[in-house]
Amino acid sequence: MTDDIAFWLSYLTNGKHLTWYASFQFTIFAALMGGALAVLFGLAGATARNARFLPLRVLGTIYSSIVRGVPDVLFFLFFPLAFEQGVEWLVATQVCSPAMVAAQTAAWPPCREANWILGTPEYLMLASVSLGIVYGAFATNVIHGALRSVPLGQLEAARAYGMSSRQVLWHIHIRQMWVYALPGLSNVWMLIIKATSLLSLLQIADIVLWADRLGAPNFLPAVGLVHADWRWRYYLVLFVFYILVTWLSERVFEAIMRRVGKGILSEAHA
Amino acid sequence: MQGFLNDLAIMAPAVMFNIYFALASIPLGFVLAVFLALGKASRNPLINRLSRGYIYAFRGSPLFIQFFMFYSLALSLNISVWKPLGISGFVLHPLFIGPLVLVLNTAAYTAEIFYGALRAVPRGAVEAARAYGMSPAQQFRRVVWPNLIRLAWPAYTNEVVFLFHATAIVYFALPVIGAQADLMITAKTLFERDYNAFLHFSVAALYFLAVSLVVFFIFGLIYRRLMRHLPPQHGLRFAPKWMR
Repeated sequence: MTDDIAFWLSYLTNGKHLTWYASFQFTIFAALMGGALAVLFGLAGATARNARFLPLRVLGTIYSSIVRGVPDVLFFLFFPLAFEQGVEWLVATQVCSPAMVAAQTAAWPPCREANWILGTPEYLMLASVSLGIVYGAFATNVIHGALRSVPLGQLEAARAYGMSSRQVLWHIHIRQMWVYALPGLSNVWMLIIKATSLLSLLQIADIVLWADRLGAPNFLPAVGLVHADWRWRYYLVLFVFYILVTWLSERVFEAIMRRVGKGILSEAHA
Repeated sequence: MQGFLNDLAIMAPAVMFNIYFALASIPLGFVLAVFLALGKASRNPLINRLSRGYIYAFRGSPLFIQFFMFYSLALSLNISVWKPLGISGFVLHPLFIGPLVLVLNTAAYTAEIFYGALRAVPRGAVEAARAYGMSPAQQFRRVVWPNLIRLAWPAYTNEVVFLFHATAIVYFALPVIGAQADLMITAKTLFERDYNAFLHFSVAALYFLAVSLVVFFIFGLIYRRLMRHLPPQHGLRFAPKWMR
């Protein structure tokens, strides 16, 4: 019995497992950063969709409908790759000499010196930005709807006080919009949490990649077979982890909505 | 331009895999979802808890993890169960296990939509049906179901499009067998050959957009048919306002 406990303790705290626990930081960072950026992109998209100037309106509408019409994985893969290539192309225009270009055998980058090698921090940042862009399109829709459900009387009153249209937008319209946007934004947040499981596609050693490595049949020459294929157990742990995170976010959003909704007519929560 | 046309031709067979995954999982997911929604509304505490838990678990976790989990579970049962039965090649094939996981996933999302619609069915209609002396089965078939499907249809259309988008990650979790590659894998292989991200991913995106539009069109036709007892809605009018 004590032997068992000692084995499990040492097994679950070996170096690989500690790395696995540490890799949760990438998932959490991507979710928080992606969420913050999604709200920013959503605000920008919604104000563009409400703009007076037609091209801006078209741009906002195109952004929210095209990005939502394409799978998130596609954009998630495309944006970091395209961004990397764009930077390499910019660098190449400055660095590469014709001789260097002639010496290059691969199709990309134009010359060896323009190669940009991305590490985990860079990929994590790019992943967060693409999460922000993709789910910003969803947030655009939510915020656009919320902006329209702010009572018109509030805006008229603000205008009657002599506020400029920019003041009305920033001090009244966007301030009051949050109550109506929160239920929709909580849905977008749930989507972002679930999308963080895709980080391993961008060569980030995240929780999914480590679960795969740890669960694979483990054979040590000194000990023999430590365990057979345990991958499903590790994935089950992640399955439960994501459900718990969803549950926790639901509780937090409920608390926020109860707090923010104080003093607002109750149909806002319906 | 030549590259664009080439890509269109190369990806035409690839999109069939995405369409296959969606088509194979929509009907079964629909049926399972109806039962799950009824289970969630059931008064029997056991059925109620089970359906609620199932829907919560599958909506609260990423499809990507679900793919990995079910595939590795099937792999670990290979020696003890599938091999002796002689069906390991079938069970472990992505074309089988992909739709299986998609069915489990989409059933949960669809059940939540149906459950919401079930609760929105007008009470008066159900009470009138009971007053006519209809049995519970008759009530469901004649009154509850027609109301439910009309209320749920727009949201269900969105879910089907999401399901089609979700087929993009099937082959990131499951092994690609031979030339059986879907749009994403094809786009990625083409990209790794000549590093032209803009071309290949845009063509894949175009295919996804095109199929999504077809889904919206077909489901819109069905919705029109479902709503044929109501006066027709005004169609979209083109009236650009350049500056307002």
